[in-house]
Amino acid sequence: MRHTRIAALFGVVALGLALAGMRFALAQPGLAAESAARFTSSDVRFATIDVYVDSPEPLAAWQFELREATGSMAVVGVENGESAAFAGTPHYDLDAVAQGRAERIIVADYSLGERATLPVGRTRVATVHVRLMGAQAPEFQLQLIAAGNAAGEAIDAAAVIELQEGRAE
Amino acid sequence: MKTQTIVQRIRALAAGGALAFLLVACASVDEDAVLESPAAAAAPPPEAGTAGNPAPAASNEGGELQPIHAGETRQQGAGNADEIIVTGNRIRRDDFQSTNATVTVNAEDMKNLGIVSVAEMVNQLPDNVAEQVSGPGTDSSFNPGESIANLRGLNADEGSRSLVLVDSSRALESDASGNVDQNMIPTALAGRIEPVTGGASETYAADAMNGVVNVITEEQAQRRRQQAEAPVPAAAPSQPGLGGAGSGGNAGGRAFVAGNAAFAQQVADGSNTRSPLSRVAPGEELWIISQPAADEMMAAVAEDALGPGVMIARFIPVVFPDQPAPTFYREIPLPLKHTDVNARVEGYVGTVDVTQQFENPYSEKIEAIYMFPLPEKAAVSEFVMTIGERRIRGILRGKEEAQQIYSQARAQGYQASLLTQHRPNVFEQKVANIEPGKAIDINIRYYETLAYQDGWYSFVFPTVVGPRYNPAGSPDPLHAVPQWNNRPTPDGAAVRYLTPGMTTSHDISIAVELDPGVAIEEIDSSHELETRWRNDDVVRVSLRDGATLPNKDFRLNFRVAGETIKSNLLTYVDEESGEGYFTLMLYPPAGLEALRRQPLELVFVLDCSGSMNGAPLAQAKAAILAALDRLEPNDSFQIIRFSNSSSQLGPRPVAATPENILLARNYLYGLNSEGGTEMITGIRAALGFPADAERLRFVTFLTDGFIGNEAQILDEIDRRLGSARIFSFGVGASPNRYLLERMAGIGRGAVAYLSLQDSGRMVMDAFFERISHPAMLDVEIDYGSMAVTDVFPSRLPDLFVGRPVVVTGKFTGRAGDVELEGRAGGERVAVTLDHEGNSPEHNFLPNLWARLKIAELEDRLAVDPNSAYSIAAEIRQTAINYELMSDYTSFVAVDASTITEGRTGTTVYQAVPVPEGVRYETAVER
Repeated sequence: MRHTRIAALFGVVALGLALAGMRFALAQPGLAAESAARFTSSDVRFATIDVYVDSPEPLAAWQFELREATGSMAVVGVENGESAAFAGTPHYDLDAVAQGRAERIIVADYSLGERATLPVGRTRVATVHVRLMGAQAPEFQLQLIAAGNAAGEAIDAAAVIELQEGRAE
Repeated sequence: MKTQTIVQRIRALAAGGALAFLLVACASVDEDAVLESPAAAAAPPPEAGTAGNPAPAASNEGGELQPIHAGETRQQGAGNADEIIVTGNRIRRDDFQSTNATVTVNAEDMKNLGIVSVAEMVNQLPDNVAEQVSGPGTDSSFNPGESIANLRGLNADEGSRSLVLVDSSRALESDASGNVDQNMIPTALAGRIEPVTGGASETYAADAMNGVVNVITEEQAQRRRQQAEAPVPAAAPSQPGLGGAGSGGNAGGRAFVAGNAAFAQQVADGSNTRSPLSRVAPGEELWIISQPAADEMMAAVAEDALGPGVMIARFIPVVFPDQPAPTFYREIPLPLKHTDVNARVEGYVGTVDVTQQFENPYSEKIEAIYMFPLPEKAAVSEFVMTIGERRIRGILRGKEEAQQIYSQARAQGYQASLLTQHRPNVFEQKVANIEPGKAIDINIRYYETLAYQDGWYSFVFPTVVGPRYNPAGSPDPLHAVPQWNNRPTPDGAAVRYLTPGMTTSHDISIAVELDPGVAIEEIDSSHELETRWRNDDVVRVSLRDGATLPNKDFRLNFRVAGETIKSNLLTYVDEESGEGYFTLMLYPPAGLEALRRQPLELVFVLDCSGSMNGAPLAQAKAAILAALDRLEPNDSFQIIRFSNSSSQLGPRPVAATPENILLARNYLYGLNSEGGTEMITGIRAALGFPADAERLRFVTFLTDGFIGNEAQILDEIDRRLGSARIFSFGVGASPNRYLLERMAGIGRGAVAYLSLQDSGRMVMDAFFERISHPAMLDVEIDYGSMAVTDVFPSRLPDLFVGRPVVVTGKFTGRAGDVELEGRAGGERVAVTLDHEGNSPEHNFLPNLWARLKIAELEDRLAVDPNSAYSIAAEIRQTAINYELMSDYTSFVAVDASTITEGRTGTTVYQAVPVPEGVRYETAVER
């Protein structure tokens, strides 16, 4: 009975620990990728930032931090990735907003799927939807904090972002 | 040749909407002398297709006639059969004999004239002045394009005073002025149109001063309707479906559905132009749901477009067979199609996923706004907007910032959604830029602890917000307005209610998996359920088909095995932050049940406002009557009623003697419900007299809680409580559980619910069972080696038999034995609690703790407005830290990938039914 409950709760527990756990369970990331993008701006506009991870082996867990240095960005949504293994919605940690610093967001997700279902190579793990304000060109910085395989081991992966402003249908 | 009595005729008239009649003579008359319908009662039938100049239908020749007023009697001789006067309001009426030009037309006439709508035909009547609502400048934002009967051509802005009947029954009003849009009447079913003008029309109803238009449906349609209303044999399953143009069909034996392809004859600028109508397909209706500016409308017409706020949607009038007379129901095309609730209960913690499925039924973009309830203890922590396969997690932000982001995204054409809280149990969902035919789902997840009482756990999901009354000067009102009121309410939020006779396609599905960890012995529910047992401990229940109308709370009670509930301690330590959280379930010691209680002073406070009219008031009265039977000789009691004001049985509580109880019964029988819910007057009356040192004062409120000034109520209770205890009884199908829970919380009592299906006596017996034993008073907790902070509730309630109390807080140090001490029956009582140990399974504790902290801060905000700024900041910070909804935080999600085409979507408010048992007329602002 108790074992059944523990098993049933595992998913919930794992979700709750996703952010915290990965920081400890995974080894130091093999590669922390930083990417920056600049573009002209108007007063208020919306854009998407696709986050890609290029992994040499099946990717089971990842965590990145996206920040904007000028203070013009506000995150307005976090979308799931393109792989079925990450079809659920990624989790985020927005502590920085509450603490009054420049906007940054830590996003993470993991998959308990079979190895064969996990993405290999370049895959879009998430799309961050943002609002951009002000005349100053934003400066994005992406750091891949962690990438791991199904065994919880670190992967030597890289991450990049692609920025797109909203397009008409 | 048939004969009918005037009594029968008068009854027919009354059924057709007449308000009050006084019959002065009763006689048998020849059918030739009395016309077929109320309309014909005023004038004889002219020759078909011509404007007649008829003679009076009945004559008063033969002498002076005097009306008989109410209460008088008069013998009527058979020889005076032709002397008949019908009066209203004690004024003699002989206008039936006046001469008026009258025309009746039938379907054949309409066909010959090439007229295809009732509205167009009525416009051709000589008595009528065509009245069509244009788009701009009217107060009827939902109804530009409606066609109104206006038989004498008065200003129709405040109502044309022309009564429209369908088969002598009042047709549904379609706007704020009480007008009827004749476009609603299926043309192909119209067999004959009969107008009544002149003085006779006034006898139909107060709003028939100008005249009456009675649309008689064709006999063939009548016969088909009767067939559809007949019981459907079980052996011959019916085929649900819609009828074609001008015909009816049987929808599963539950309703007669009449489809009609001849709607949408008008456009909003008042002219019959080709462009919008060319877009309307058979079975569709032109809908105007906002007030476009005049230039925009004209530009749209010129561009052969519908223009902003003008939309095409399907329209299905339905007739339910259980109505006494056939009535056309409108199924309003609104964007919320379905609500899916999927819950899992583990132990006594529920995780609930709610999915709201929005779909745009119109021909242009919309913004959908929906006011909905969630449990008052819900810790809303996840928000996801789903568009196709794409799932966008919403971000929790400060309320103003989230609103700003949403507004900017909406204005630029992005699909976006915003979830805000108006009360701890009332939320508002906005979804912007839903394109025609497209769908957007909103997923909300929340956690809650289940209530426990007398061996039963209770899972509740509210489905509709009850209509609130807002006393004058309420700082943050929550309005209850009709569906057709499409204007924003700048001074506060508003819930739109479907007017009687209207329905929507919105339904609800609920599935709950119960896994309390011990065997489930019994299940009880407010709805019919399907159950699927996995084993003795786990069961999955779901709503049965046909129980999916969202107009009352879903309540699922389950009783667990034996003596398994006892006081215990759960803990959880966040490994990352190192913070510890605990929850204690304090259960009264078993020995209390053997002790007798002290004498009581029971004050019953009964809500007699308009929303309690009918079944809710009857339930509340039954409960008080049952309570009176349980009083003991040493007890005293008082009954206080309140609506706009308060009154009471006597100036002070009286002894529970048989004579006084009889007096109280008679007092109760005489109470009616009407007016507003000025609950503060009831509170002042109940708590405003000196305490009785000999008796423990229990104040019981019996109310639906449909008020908008909750904060003022809680403040008043906090200031006046003294040594009293408050027990609140939520009456009806969807009571305001937040208010009732908080009243009992501040009042150190408990809450109980009395649904329309419950036995008032049983609920009151359970209450007396609880108070018939001494409670454990002055409760103190010794936490041992735990250093605790931020413990909620900060004011510990008394422990009543059968009613545990949950205490939640943060701690540092080692979690070990905890001891509970208190006073019961004059003796000191101590209990040591078990510690189940720290477990990652208890990771819900931080969220639950944060939700309780926010609730406590909200209470403080109500009673300490001077500290509003700092309290609000603390609520906001707590909510953001724990990612929870609150009054100061909102979830916003924007799909920034695509800009939708066209102008900003038109706002459509999702109207909801009034809760079961609540009368629309007495509860919704007019």
